[in-house]
Amino acid sequence: MINTFFGSGTLDAPAAFFASLLIGIAFGVALERAGFGSSRRLSGIFYFRDMAVLKVMFTAVLVAMLGISYAKAFGWVTTENVYFLPTIYAAQILGGLVFGVGFVMSGWCPGTGAVGLASGKIDALVFLLGAVGGSILYNEAYPILAPITQGDHGIIFAYDSLGISEASFAFFFTLIAVGCFWGAEYIEKKRVGRGDLWGSTFLKAFSVILLVGAFGLFTLTGQSKSSKGPFSAHTTSAKQELELLANLQSGLDHIEPAELADRLLGGDPWMRLVDIRTPGEFGTFHIRSAVNVQPADLPATLAPHKNQGLIVLYSNGMTHPAQARDSLFRLGFKNVYLLTDGLEGFMKTCLKPVSLRSEPVSPVLAAKINAWRAFFLAPAKPGSEPASTFKGSSAPDLSTLTIPGLLETDWLNANLGKEGLKIVDLRAQPEYNSGHIPGSLSLNIESLRGLSQGVPSSLLPATMLAEHFSMMGIRPDDFLVLVSTKKLQDATLVGMACERLKHNRYAVLRGGFPKWQAEKRPLDMTLPPVGPSQYPLPKHPETFTVTAREVLTSLEKPGTLIIDVRPSDYFTGQKQDEARGGHIPGAVNRPFSEDVTKGDSYSAFKPIDELGKIYGKIIPSKETPVILHCRTGHQASQTYFVLVRLLGYTGVKWYDGGWTEWAARTELPIE
Amino acid sequence: MDENVNNRIGQGKPYMNPYLAGALLGLTLLASYLILGAGLGASSGLARMGAYIELALAPAHTLAGKYFGSWGLRPLEYYLVFMMAGVFFGGLISALIARRWEFKVEKGTQYATKKRLLIALVGGILAGFASRLASGCTSGQALSGSAALLTGSLLFLICVFAGGYAAAWFVRRQWDD
Repeated sequence: MINTFFGSGTLDAPAAFFASLLIGIAFGVALERAGFGSSRRLSGIFYFRDMAVLKVMFTAVLVAMLGISYAKAFGWVTTENVYFLPTIYAAQILGGLVFGVGFVMSGWCPGTGAVGLASGKIDALVFLLGAVGGSILYNEAYPILAPITQGDHGIIFAYDSLGISEASFAFFFTLIAVGCFWGAEYIEKKRVGRGDLWGSTFLKAFSVILLVGAFGLFTLTGQSKSSKGPFSAHTTSAKQELELLANLQSGLDHIEPAELADRLLGGDPWMRLVDIRTPGEFGTFHIRSAVNVQPADLPATLAPHKNQGLIVLYSNGMTHPAQARDSLFRLGFKNVYLLTDGLEGFMKTCLKPVSLRSEPVSPVLAAKINAWRAFFLAPAKPGSEPASTFKGSSAPDLSTLTIPGLLETDWLNANLGKEGLKIVDLRAQPEYNSGHIPGSLSLNIESLRGLSQGVPSSLLPATMLAEHFSMMGIRPDDFLVLVSTKKLQDATLVGMACERLKHNRYAVLRGGFPKWQAEKRPLDMTLPPVGPSQYPLPKHPETFTVTAREVLTSLEKPGTLIIDVRPSDYFTGQKQDEARGGHIPGAVNRPFSEDVTKGDSYSAFKPIDELGKIYGKIIPSKETPVILHCRTGHQASQTYFVLVRLLGYTGVKWYDGGWTEWAARTELPIE
Repeated sequence: MDENVNNRIGQGKPYMNPYLAGALLGLTLLASYLILGAGLGASSGLARMGAYIELALAPAHTLAGKYFGSWGLRPLEYYLVFMMAGVFFGGLISALIARRWEFKVEKGTQYATKKRLLIALVGGILAGFASRLASGCTSGQALSGSAALLTGSLLFLICVFAGGYAAAWFVRRQWDD
């Protein structure tokens, strides 16, 4: 995979801007050379007068398509390092039709319009001004049009839509395009008596080159699968081999039968047990909870679990799993283990009845063996066995949830151990150590805050938060469950960190840890395994925060509601912990604590209906621009969660600097 | 005929062979995918300028909006804005070298300049609007998306020509000589 600006999340860095400028220059030169600085030439295609648009566009599409397809076949380009536009049927069909009308009317499109302007064409300038205006118009109409743009189907390739192979589609596409080239030359020859290229050696050679190029994709995509093994083996570095041998020597790549049995009995959610024998053998008997994967399918099937948790391979003996493990290691899997002595060893060590053993057995071991036998030899109850298909089945079902939002303890209990579910415990460490929801990661919220631009206790910038998430092994598609104490604002502050990283898959556990504990649900004291992750930076700048300057600007232009969520005595200035007491001129007071019902055992948000009624009286409409602040941003994060994530307000911004900053900057007005 | 037009103007060089120009364009697009990790784009640059203007006129309103608002306070700090600037300069350099720079309104000789500019303006508004709706224009969707064989982009490409051919008859007079 090649390192692109998009892939490394640096498309907003100056280097990417410079590269874009250079690519833009090449783009402009190519368009101008093609004669696209002329609206007459561009519109020619619509009157069968000048088919240059078809020839240039189709050629460009074919050349780039061949390049991209080859790059994909070589593994240089994936959806991870290249941004592909998602398919949104209604928006693209409607947009295409209207765009076509605009194109034929003006004779320009945005790129060629810029070249037209550079060529001195006044109609191009007028077109560009119109297009800027059209964009503004779209922005204003967005609230009405948004539903059309909602049906995002993700990245869909046309060959998948049609159910054919990429190579076949590319070949037919090339065939059609070449046919169009000949058709275009013929039309020009007939209609305007030009078409010097019809039947020319150049066009013949060009057609052949394109078709051969497209045909080559068949051989390549066919080969890439079979050549993957030896190809990867050759590229294995000596360092990797040494690492492999070192693990072998220290026995790090083995798991003992007894340990495996205990982990399975304890329901270890982080372990994947894989039986690599034939389906027939697997059907006769297998270790409970194992899935059956044939060796050739291992890399693909295990890909979602690469370096996450523990993968244990077994067969009857040790040879095949060892070979499979080595092969997976070369493919980058560092978390694959072998079952010592295979299934035979497991039967002998764990499942052989105590009465048949020749060696003496201690009472403790005897009890264990009986427990193992009961667990592994009992007919599996329906539903107690994990489904034997790997993909998807183990992911939590989020379809019934509103995310980001509140999560019920029942749901969490039913989904414990699911792949991609990350529970984040925000209590102090001693409490975490002495019992937490199984699989929880511990997080101190203060580690997400610090001095930023002179303001203490500010939420850290995205780069540092991403680093922190990486340290915790969190990946962008993980579902985070935030578990707080009675201080719900701890969970919502972590929610703000998620918002900053554009990690929308998070929920706040209703009632937090106290509710879980009160309901006597399972607890655990072990530390969950954390695999390495590289949390990417968000691609777009954030929009949910405001600075002191922006708050000041909003004061000058009425229409924005400032809500101060601090306790009332701080709002009025009776109490103060800062340089100045009081509040921002025009702000209204709605203490954050009033959104919460404090119960004996736990605190929870008031019912959503009730909150909706209260805020309906304070804020004129769901779209009203609102700025929330408190002292440090902590309490305001809770009101932000209530307004945006529970009640669906869309104009809410968070002023993180809060009264700490406002009071200390004496040039800012207070009342 | 175009060569004739060029000769009549008496200054511009003939255009490049369209297939070679297309190949040049295709290689540029490929370079964009491999270096930036994203295809070419033009309409986003214009929309960002729109956001910049609206932000200057009505900051609170623009920031509160869900579309331009999501681009923050500095909408011009975006790679496609720089690409659009590059397109302009690339076009300028090429037009000057080929001696094709000419200050004029391009239209048929029989057609009124004002009417041609009005049509160009309305066309621009429609194209600008539609390119936001479809998240791209001929560059981002029709060229870049189609080259990646994306279903939605190929549909966009087909629809652009469907829309264009459907409306072509009504605006044909502007090219009457």
